[in-house]
Amino acid sequence: MTYTISPLPHVKSNESVKRVMWGTIAALLPITIAAIYLFGLPALTIILVTVIVAVVTEIVIYKAASQPITIGDGNAVLIGLLLALIMPPSVPIWVPIIGAAFAIAVPKYIFGGTGTLVFHPALVGFAFLLAAWPTLMGTGSTPNLGGFSDLFLETGAGRLVEASPALVLLGGAFVLYKKYVDRRVAFSATILLLLLMPIVGMGSQLPYVLTGGYFLGLIFLAADPVTTPATKRGRLVYGIMLAGLILIQLYFNTYFAGMCFAVLMMNVFSPLIDKNTIPKPIGGK
Amino acid sequence: MKIVTIKTPDQVIIPLQQHDGAVCDSLVSVGDIVSVGQLIGDGEFRIHSSVSGEVTAVSELPHPTGKDVLSVVIKTHDGEKSEIEPVELSTGKIRRIIREAGIVEPNGQPTLRTKGDINTIVVNGTNTWDLSSSEALMLDHPSKIVYGLKALMETVGAKKAFIIIELGSEALHVMRTETIPDSNIKVIATPRYYPPGTENTLAKKFAKKKVPRGSTPEDRGVIVSSIAAMKAIYDALCDGEPMIKKVVTVAGAVGSPRDVLVDIGAPIGHVIKECGGCSGTPVKIIVNGAIPGAAQYSDEVPVIKTTTGILVQTESNIEREPPAPCINCAWCVDECPIGLMPHLLYGYADSAQFDKCAELYIGDCVECGMCAYVCPSKLPLVQIIRYGKHGVAEMEASE
Repeated sequence: MTYTISPLPHVKSNESVKRVMWGTIAALLPITIAAIYLFGLPALTIILVTVIVAVVTEIVIYKAASQPITIGDGNAVLIGLLLALIMPPSVPIWVPIIGAAFAIAVPKYIFGGTGTLVFHPALVGFAFLLAAWPTLMGTGSTPNLGGFSDLFLETGAGRLVEASPALVLLGGAFVLYKKYVDRRVAFSATILLLLLMPIVGMGSQLPYVLTGGYFLGLIFLAADPVTTPATKRGRLVYGIMLAGLILIQLYFNTYFAGMCFAVLMMNVFSPLIDKNTIPKPIGGK
Repeated sequence: MKIVTIKTPDQVIIPLQQHDGAVCDSLVSVGDIVSVGQLIGDGEFRIHSSVSGEVTAVSELPHPTGKDVLSVVIKTHDGEKSEIEPVELSTGKIRRIIREAGIVEPNGQPTLRTKGDINTIVVNGTNTWDLSSSEALMLDHPSKIVYGLKALMETVGAKKAFIIIELGSEALHVMRTETIPDSNIKVIATPRYYPPGTENTLAKKFAKKKVPRGSTPEDRGVIVSSIAAMKAIYDALCDGEPMIKKVVTVAGAVGSPRDVLVDIGAPIGHVIKECGGCSGTPVKIIVNGAIPGAAQYSDEVPVIKTTTGILVQTESNIEREPPAPCINCAWCVDECPIGLMPHLLYGYADSAQFDKCAELYIGDCVECGMCAYVCPSKLPLVQIIRYGKHGVAEMEASE
């Protein structure tokens, strides 16, 4: 009788990278549907095309580089979906096509693929499009939380994701519960931001922050596990610095782009924070 | 009774190393006739024969840790039982009895290491993943366990003791009832808490004593012990029986999974057969639990003093998913009971940067396996961290 031997452990949890990615995509489905409901055909076209371009780009690049194709893990779909959701519905369709291809090719593939990348690909794609075609990336209206009903269906939404703050929060609650995004970053940044804004005299801007775009940014983009630090203290530091940077950006920049650039800037600090917050093992001095 | 006593096997294999430390010297040779409880090995710990019979071999044989260890093979025949005389309780004597009875904690350490002052005893009644031997002992012998604990407390002068039991365990009520007269023994319910075997984390969590790195809880006046050891102390004191039997949980793909009382040295194949045999084709046999346990390459390895469970897995239980890249999710960091950075240790060890591993305290890893359990990328973290430890040791030796 021969038996299999292997190092421990001999059971593993059900969670996998695949489940993390597809679970995050599932959490974004309610807001995706709300966006299609609010904006109609243009929203559907943007979402479908962006996701398909992201997937095709990944297949082409990985095939050309003779690397294993990992479309099944859902990462490319997630990047495409996140990028589509932060587009304004009026954008010409070729803009997100270029954005999706760029997001996969440069910030994901060139920086080493899932796990090693430095900047969040969807945000880099967004920043690239904003820098290249600022007028096309502008929104027709600016969401501004006026009444209670705006939490559920924001009629002033300028981007797809802003269709419904409540549905973004619903998906956010799911990924936070499942730990698919980092809780420490999401909570520390959100709470600190909401506390600090009235204190530094920016309380009047709060309605712009209680929108789908910000909730997506703070939960799905900023707290993305790959680009945040790994140490426990480091993740808190990251969230606190992010809140500060968002405040500075809010003061000088437009409300949504400011948040995106604040997250991208924080991505740079992630390895530095990690390096300086290595914990001492139990009983260490 | 939850614990079922199983038949003595025809032949037992008693390794002369059933603890952390050097192999004991054999006191018997081939052809000797031994009786139950007879001393057959001496050294750091004492080892006794669990059966009466004839020594048929003294040679290096497979051991549950995966090495080959000098073992005494005894062919059983019915014989008379030799006993240690029950003794009165006094400090010197119980220390002597614990040593003479060869009592070993499930982590391979002695119950009493130092002669320093002890003021707290933490008895770990939690069970490692899927196993229930501590719970079964508490349900069957609550008074014996409390007796053993009180004897130990009296000997070392401990003022209080905690018994840690998982929330929802039946043993919670039984042990609370049993300890009502003793105000200095407290039963604490804890959420399922893994890994239970790390003494320093238990000392910190329950006795509120922070143990410095490289020290043992005894240095801070805390003993972290186990239910099995309390029962063994009772057996030694009252029945004069050395540690020759062990309660073992048999779980997984077997006919009737249960807690059994096994003679030390019984081959695990015999124990599985006595529990109804394997159901289905066994692919993996694991000693001591699914997460921290060791997979065995033979069912001829014996049950030893540190064995708490035997788990049989069939093909459908086995994880064969290929690893994906680390996504830096830090679940391993959140899970590590020691506060290490498992994913960084993995990365550095995998690329042979052993100096970096040493900087990140790789030596503190207790190999509990939690990081690899939660890893969504299915990385073989423990395997690579072990490689890293080996690399660090070689690096330090060559300096």
